[in-house]
Amino acid sequence: MNAKIILAVVVVVAGLIAGVVNFLESNVEYGDFTMAERVERTIQVKGEWVKEAETRFDAEKGQFLFSMRDEKGRVMPVVLAGAKPNNFEIATSMVAKGKLDNGVFYASNVLTKCPSKYEGDASAVKESL
Amino acid sequence: MIGGIVVKVAFLAALAAAFFYYRVHREQSERWLVAARGSFHLAVISLMIASAILLSFILTHQFQYTYVWNYSSTDLPLPLLIATFYAGQEGSFMLWALFTAIIGVFLMVYASKKAYEPEVMSVYSLILSILLLMLVVKNPFEYVWNTFPNDLIHSGPVPAGVTNYIILDAARSVWAQFPVEGRGLNPLLQNYWMVIHPPILFVGFSAMAVPYAHAVAGLMKRDYHSWIRVATPWSVFGAMALGFGIILGGYWAYETLGWGGYWAWDPVENSSLIPWLLCLAAIHTTLTQRKSGAFVRTNFTLSILAFLTVLYSTFLTRSGVLGDTSVHSFVDPGMWVYWLLLGCIALFASLGFGMLFYRMREMPKIPVEHSIVSREFALFLGAFALSFVAIFVIIGTSSPIITTIFKGVASAVEINYYVKTTLPLGIAITFLSGIGQLLWWKHSKTGSLLKSMALPTVLALGTTALVLIMLGTDEFLILVFTFCSAFSLFANLQVGYKIFRGNPKFVGGSIAHVGIALMCLGFVTSERYDDSLTVALERGKTVEALGYRMTYVGYHPYEREKYAFTIEVEREGVKRTVAPTMYYSEFTKGIMRHPDLINFFTKDFYVAPLSLEEGGRAPEETFELLQGEEQAVGSLHVRFVDFDFSNVQQGAMLEGKDFTIGVDIVVREGTRTTPLKLLMKNTPQGPEFVPSRYTTGDQSTYQLAIARLMPDREDKSKSKVELTVRLPQTSEQKGETLLVEASLKPYINLVWVGTVTLVIGFLLTIIHRVEEARLKHDRWTPQ
Repeated sequence: MNAKIILAVVVVVAGLIAGVVNFLESNVEYGDFTMAERVERTIQVKGEWVKEAETRFDAEKGQFLFSMRDEKGRVMPVVLAGAKPNNFEIATSMVAKGKLDNGVFYASNVLTKCPSKYEGDASAVKESL
Repeated sequence: MIGGIVVKVAFLAALAAAFFYYRVHREQSERWLVAARGSFHLAVISLMIASAILLSFILTHQFQYTYVWNYSSTDLPLPLLIATFYAGQEGSFMLWALFTAIIGVFLMVYASKKAYEPEVMSVYSLILSILLLMLVVKNPFEYVWNTFPNDLIHSGPVPAGVTNYIILDAARSVWAQFPVEGRGLNPLLQNYWMVIHPPILFVGFSAMAVPYAHAVAGLMKRDYHSWIRVATPWSVFGAMALGFGIILGGYWAYETLGWGGYWAWDPVENSSLIPWLLCLAAIHTTLTQRKSGAFVRTNFTLSILAFLTVLYSTFLTRSGVLGDTSVHSFVDPGMWVYWLLLGCIALFASLGFGMLFYRMREMPKIPVEHSIVSREFALFLGAFALSFVAIFVIIGTSSPIITTIFKGVASAVEINYYVKTTLPLGIAITFLSGIGQLLWWKHSKTGSLLKSMALPTVLALGTTALVLIMLGTDEFLILVFTFCSAFSLFANLQVGYKIFRGNPKFVGGSIAHVGIALMCLGFVTSERYDDSLTVALERGKTVEALGYRMTYVGYHPYEREKYAFTIEVEREGVKRTVAPTMYYSEFTKGIMRHPDLINFFTKDFYVAPLSLEEGGRAPEETFELLQGEEQAVGSLHVRFVDFDFSNVQQGAMLEGKDFTIGVDIVVREGTRTTPLKLLMKNTPQGPEFVPSRYTTGDQSTYQLAIARLMPDREDKSKSKVELTVRLPQTSEQKGETLLVEASLKPYINLVWVGTVTLVIGFLLTIIHRVEEARLKHDRWTPQ
């Protein structure tokens, strides 16, 4: 076989393997707080805001502090690096991406999910009559 | 009603054009040519009429149409009102189809001169008809009462006072009410970028269909070489429009949406990047085929793929499959559009690749004759690397689909994935775009190559050293990327200068490469050497951050309920102000935040607002006191002495006149005692408590006020008063605080200068390639 072709195949295969490994590494798994305790790496936890618990913004550190209840019902304090996420109060659920450390979930990002907000719905059409 | 019919006419006419053009091709006779051209023109005119109707509905606020109601409102200024034409799915498909149709009119004239009309136009008409089919299914002319029949259609007499109704069936007295105001445009889209960015991007999307049509036409005609000469100007045009659109979108995200940067590897951004990369790869490999005849299959494959990825990207961002995994919200358009888009991909993939496999055996096999040290090989590797970037971006963007299949839960990849996979490929691409220009076709002599490499290498090393010294070190690969980008810049400047002195017509390629190299250098300096910091700005207090003295001086409203937060920024005596904005949007039910920036020659100072924290209030204590009782509060003791009714005129209380009741108290601080009188004014509006202040020996101020009076008429000793005491402000409590993210983006202007240079390079190349394609303009004649 041609040396050039072998070289090309090796480069392609190596590139693909590197790509796949990278893909698997950067896909953040979904889990709950119990799993976060066990695995000690960044995961995504879906849950809802615990309204009764302390919820405030720490301007000194630039952190937003709140508590979240995961889908199994376990409540955990969350420290989000950044400001309060958009639509935080009206969100039906949220996904926090981060790591658990010493009983506190340190989130790098919290995505809020809202009841269908862009598509026109029946209640919206009634309002504009 | 009429709009929907016109769209259907356009669809059928485009389908007929595809059919008639195919007959012209099959029969090799002009018999069907008039019908084919007529059908295509009918499709174009119908679509233009449909677009004009939709636009007039928008401009005259016909909210009885769901699309108009859903995306526009009466309070929008004219440019934004026009832009609502393509704010939703139906309208953006319409714009895409409209551009495809208009380009088709020019393509028809062009192709007829190149003897390519029947084949190119039959494929192109088919593409147009599929886009129109999308509009037939997702009709922008739907009545709002057909969308919400349960809520809007009523029967019986119309109630008095209702004027916004239409009688649907007079005999059975069925009528429908329609909205008088639209829902309006998403505030994120309410700026001038919305007016220019989507149209440019859609021109690029539409143009990608042309190289595809030429590739399939080449296969139909068994013409495996000259289709390239005909298609190239269009490929370059598509690459220019799409590339410019992508960067404009990036600038929009940076300047207005406040993403913090111009590129976030978001699905919507990626989806236009993928076809762009493949189109660039195709432009480069076709160069080789023109010289040596090699890469016949590669060129067919890449030209077909560039268009298929436009369709796949549309599927990703329009079908709802990405769900909640992105900052963009993807509306689920329903099963019809989902399957139609998938079917559309399958149709054009099987048409393109089916034809390719069918003709594969008879294609000429041109042996590879060039050496490793040749321009052909550099072009091949460069196109290979570009395609690989495209593949990695496709995989990353499709992550929610892939993970759904294998794990059952959709999840997106981290941005890091894209950086890791594209950085090594970016190094290869920038290096090759420099070295490729220095190499000769077929074979280069090592001596002459090294000689021409000398100057760019030295200058690139100098640039890398400069970046290292001025901006500090970063990871090794970034330095390599910096070197390669600088090498490409200087190599292309050197080559471009020589070409310009020889034949200026050929200089477009070098200029485009200079643009890309400048952009890559800008990517490194602005994204890798940026600095950012979350800063809490207490009103009136100066904070130093990133070498700038920032003072938040207050906010003011603009455009009704939006607020601009003014921050004075000072450095070395020069004072500027930035005013990022925040407001609550009823439309998105959330806070909208827009950054502001100062554009310096060497950097941007970028301020993104995060939130406004109300000033912290001093703690308060409220307690009840019996007459004569004393209570400790802070460092004071407060004793309730007696009520003072001396200011109450006889009968005032009963007659409802104003009156004032006093409460005498004694404040004791250590051994010092001070009598104080607290007042409650009773007014028709209700009681008003007038506070009194007490300043201690160490200058801290307490504020005391009545909260409630509870006199006991029978037993005066049981009379009680409730007091509220506000304790002194301590240093921990802050005033109103604005929280911002401040960042420095060094040499970000390189990205914008590079973009303009790139577009100029593309324009020069188009002019050159159009002239070149004109050399053989034999009008199509039946053979």
